Amino acid sequence: MPELLEAKNLSKSYETPRGPLSILNGVTLSLESGDAISIIGPSGTGKSTLLYILGALEPPTSGEVTLDGRNPFTLSDKDVSAFRNQEVGFVFQDHCLLPQCTVLENVLIPTMVGTRDAEVEQRAKKLLDQVGLSHRLDHRPAELSGGEKQRVAIARAMIRGPKMLLCDEPTGNLDRHTATQVADLLLEMNRASKTILIVVTHSAELAGRFPKMYELVEGQLVAK
Amino acid sequence: MSLVRRSLVYYWRTNLAVILGVATAVAVLSGALLVGDSVRASLRDLVLSRLGRTQAVVTSAQFFREQLAAEAPGAAPLIVMQGVVTNEKDGRREYKVAVYGVDDRFFKFNGYTQPAPSGNDAQLSPALARDLGAQAGDSILLRVEKPSAIPRESLQGRKEDSGRTLRLTASTDGPEFALQPSQGDISAIYVSLRRLQRDLAQPSRVNTLLLQSGQFQKEKVTLDDLGIKIRALPYDLSIETASAVMSDALVAKVEEAAGANAAPVFSYVANAIRIGDREVPYSIVTGIGQEDGISLDDWAAKDLNAKLGDEVTLDYYFWEPSGSLVTRNAQLKLTKILPMTGIAVDRDLTPEYPGITEAQSISDWDPPFPVDLKKVRPKDEEYWKKYRTAPKAFVSLTAAQKLWGSRFGKVTSVRVSGSNSADFARKLRALIDPQALGMAIVEPRAQALKQAEGSTDFGEYFTYFSFFLVVSALLLTGLFFQLGIGQRLREIGTLRAVGFPASKIRWLFVAEGFLLSIAGVVVGSIGAVVYAAFLLYGLKTWWRGAVGTGLLTLHVSADSLAGGGIAGVVIALVCVLATLRSLKRSSPRELLSGNRATEENPRHGTRWLRILAALSIVSAMALVGAAFSHSVPDAGAFFGAGTLLLIGAIFFEWARLRGVNGMVSSVVKLGVRNVGYRPGRSVLVIALISSAVFLVVALDAFRRPPVAVSDPHSGTGGFPFAAESELPIFWDLNTPAGRDNLNLSAVKDAKFFAFRLRPGEDASCLNLYEPRTPRVLGASRAFLDLNRFSFTEAIAKSENPWLLLDADPQDGAIPAIADANSITYVLHHKVGDVFDAGGVKVKLVAALDDSVFQSELIVSEKNFTRVFPNEQGFRYFLIDGAPSIAAPLNDALSDYGFDVISTPERLAAYHRVENTYLSTFQALGGLGLLLGTLGLGAVLLRNVMERRKELALLRAVGYRPEHLRTMVIAENAYLLIAGTVTGTASALVAILPAFLQRGGHPPNPSLALLLLAVPVAGMAASLIAVRMVARAPLLETLRAE
Repeated sequence: MPELLEAKNLSKSYETPRGPLSILNGVTLSLESGDAISIIGPSGTGKSTLLYILGALEPPTSGEVTLDGRNPFTLSDKDVSAFRNQEVGFVFQDHCLLPQCTVLENVLIPTMVGTRDAEVEQRAKKLLDQVGLSHRLDHRPAELSGGEKQRVAIARAMIRGPKMLLCDEPTGNLDRHTATQVADLLLEMNRASKTILIVVTHSAELAGRFPKMYELVEGQLVAK
Repeated sequence: MSLVRRSLVYYWRTNLAVILGVATAVAVLSGALLVGDSVRASLRDLVLSRLGRTQAVVTSAQFFREQLAAEAPGAAPLIVMQGVVTNEKDGRREYKVAVYGVDDRFFKFNGYTQPAPSGNDAQLSPALARDLGAQAGDSILLRVEKPSAIPRESLQGRKEDSGRTLRLTASTDGPEFALQPSQGDISAIYVSLRRLQRDLAQPSRVNTLLLQSGQFQKEKVTLDDLGIKIRALPYDLSIETASAVMSDALVAKVEEAAGANAAPVFSYVANAIRIGDREVPYSIVTGIGQEDGISLDDWAAKDLNAKLGDEVTLDYYFWEPSGSLVTRNAQLKLTKILPMTGIAVDRDLTPEYPGITEAQSISDWDPPFPVDLKKVRPKDEEYWKKYRTAPKAFVSLTAAQKLWGSRFGKVTSVRVSGSNSADFARKLRALIDPQALGMAIVEPRAQALKQAEGSTDFGEYFTYFSFFLVVSALLLTGLFFQLGIGQRLREIGTLRAVGFPASKIRWLFVAEGFLLSIAGVVVGSIGAVVYAAFLLYGLKTWWRGAVGTGLLTLHVSADSLAGGGIAGVVIALVCVLATLRSLKRSSPRELLSGNRATEENPRHGTRWLRILAALSIVSAMALVGAAFSHSVPDAGAFFGAGTLLLIGAIFFEWARLRGVNGMVSSVVKLGVRNVGYRPGRSVLVIALISSAVFLVVALDAFRRPPVAVSDPHSGTGGFPFAAESELPIFWDLNTPAGRDNLNLSAVKDAKFFAFRLRPGEDASCLNLYEPRTPRVLGASRAFLDLNRFSFTEAIAKSENPWLLLDADPQDGAIPAIADANSITYVLHHKVGDVFDAGGVKVKLVAALDDSVFQSELIVSEKNFTRVFPNEQGFRYFLIDGAPSIAAPLNDALSDYGFDVISTPERLAAYHRVENTYLSTFQALGGLGLLLGTLGLGAVLLRNVMERRKELALLRAVGYRPEHLRTMVIAENAYLLIAGTVTGTASALVAILPAFLQRGGHPPNPSLALLLLAVPVAGMAASLIAVRMVARAPLLETLRAE
């Protein structure tokens, strides 16, 4: 099976008053469709930065990322937005739901830009059914629990059927029981949709539930 | 304190915005107050500078000795009148010009540097020269009323030739002197005192003294100064007056001085004394004593072949107050025939009548009434030669007074026996207070200062006018302060976490808010001066119609700055406290995460909001229904309905924003949905914009439309013309005799309603000073019966409120009517009030609705002549007639200074003031609206800042910057459109009756511009917010680490 995600020699450094601060230092990663990995590491080691580079939210200082053969950083701003919209799904620690929109509308947010087919609403409802929220379609985020909000965020991330789902501390704000439920859901989605799943976390417990686990040490990925 | 100081510096950008918000509010508030101060101070300065060095003024209805000035140290004598000035070159004419007969003493008194006019010189004030188009050396004509000691409205008074024209040579360097306060330009002419005295036949006499102090020795005033003459007769004294008739007050004083030795006399000219078909023409009849019937002297008795018991008929002329000469007669029984000695030959019983008493023969008479000389027989001439004005008949004083008495007096002289002239003069003078006999000593400076203080309060007006500016500025202040707090939630959380009690944190922010408001007050006070200067400039230029003068200067008062400053600090602190209150619900954990307390379910309370909205809308419909059924006045009902609709719409919108409406399926719809992100905040913006739009649009309805002349219940009363006459007219213009006498035969088909006039201060909004002695018109019964014009209210229900004027005075107050606008805004009274209208107590019995009578009070003619007996003739007219009558009327009566004006134009002049106020309100309301729109920008910015995470998420899921821009613009457009449409629609309902009343005329076009400016400014504000979105490092906010 060809590699779907290829990250080669990724480096990232930031300019500071005391000179460049290197965060990533030659990270290389190759993943196939359906792979699910976790990345752990202490705070400030660059886990989120790596995730953002892989998701085309932030360019690397050097190195290359391709997803299904496309390097997003060579695309125009318009195309990179479309790339993120179509190919990548994000789940953040803070669910980032729009409080003024209903659960169903929040899931549909990514479909409001780019192409939109007639079945999108049905798909959203199906996703919400999968995450156990079919009875909450018209509710607003303020009426949901923390775990429910994160499940809505997962449904939103999956609405476009992305090739890759990137999760930045998805259970960071949740209690242990809810965190387990969310992790189960992510893995289930990964299995069902063959989407690449990358989860960045502090939690060794969560990380341990993934088939492959990496640690970011001194700017490099080390398989555990 | 150190924490406060560091915070102030660190968050300088947000703090600067808060300071500017407070500064704007303070600038607007203090600026408005400064405008009030400036107008008052300018009016005060203006009147004081125009008074020169005058501290007190002695004036008199009759002329007195110029010598009196020499007896009062530093006094300047002058003649003060009003006249008409015509530029001979082109006929340009100015009415109501102040005429001053002056000499060196006047110029020296006031410190004017110009030389006094002499000979034919006339100095014109600059404004008069400008209005006349006169240049130095131009020939001008000055027309003034010629004083007459004898009342012109008595039989002996001359009705024609009441004026005098002086041809003078103009110079244009006259001083700006005025005794009456007026904010307008001075229209004055200064002529030589000697010249004016000569032309008015008042040698060495004046009617005014200017004094440099309020001390005037009244004892210096002689009987002569008061027009009282004491003639020493062989056995008696005859006390008489120059007017040939004595007032009741004077008679009382003479009787008090003479005791039982006083015998009042009333002599009158009878056209004929008749018995049967025999008659004696043109004889004096004297009323004296109490004997009933009539006594004839022996000469007349013989001529009439009379015997005791005969019925004697007296034919006599009588001058009707309405302006016509009628012949009346009286029958009396002959009770006595007097021998031709003693009283029967006493020619001194008749006062001096110019044109009669000095005539050598009856054929030489030149009386002011027609004499048929064919009736005069040789024997009558012989009698005249021998006995002159000796009465041929005597009646009782009571009978004479009943027949011939008038408001001017009921006695022509008083005979006093047993005193010598000098002693009696001293005794009489000691009893008389000159002020009781028409001499007045006034202190114009003090009076003018009071009038300037009591003037229209522009400070109050501009505070109202600037209301939306202040509200918008405060909204901005609150929003910026909230923005600052929003930026510092984590800081607050940290402080809470490290053990700062909530009260301590609140104190820190209050201290910051206080210091920021102080800084705002300092900046705002400077802004206030600029704002006040701007408003004053507006008053002198764009809104000059409201003040009628360009002579306003900025006066900065510490009180107003302090007042506005304190108000600014207090309001700013209220904003700060309100903002801090919202933090109470937030836990330290929420604050540490940069969040406020989780918003309660927004859907809660929507039911109540919908109920309130429905109630408001149903009430609005009920009011409209009531208006259609005429249960309530249209204007009030529709305005109320409009306001309720506005409230209902805002509640409805609020409920809508708290709920879920439709499915969001596009970026634009997502933007619209974002309006509901903070529904309270959005509704506040919609409410502000819609209220301002409502007010600005609705105010337009109050603009006074042109009035239909033909409607007798309109403000013109259905009269196309009004006229004012500089010189009083005594003849009835509606009678052929009257028109003949006034050469008005060319003016046909015109109906005149003449009013008496007590000149005084303008009681309309054209006068900024508080009128203490307002103009008073005396309306005839015929006019009152017409029941024209409309009333806003009356003290008693009446089909014809005009007739309320006909009542007799109650507790000394005579009933009066005035225009509702003048009553409320200028006189500061209300219907039912009793007040002093310049020496006369009046009671307001009704208020006219927007009429041509805004400059005066109106009383009945009956009451007018009672309280102003010395105001003679008619000087104000309402005229019904074709447009073509105006020019011939002006021409025919030019000697009277007759000035015909169109009533719609007169009304339009009043409306201009009101409309200018409305324009001012609209302009400042519009500015407030624009500032409110900036507030909208601030709301957007704040929403954007608070939602950076959401926006970042949108970017992460593939939204491009233009998607975010579209979203923000859609959100802004929704707020703008909702505010503008709600406000406009509600306002249109409110102004519907006014709109229909003016025949569907569209509102002022400038409104459309203003309403267009709102979305433009709003869009500009949203573009700024959009820029911020584009520049913000959104993705950073998504990081978990």
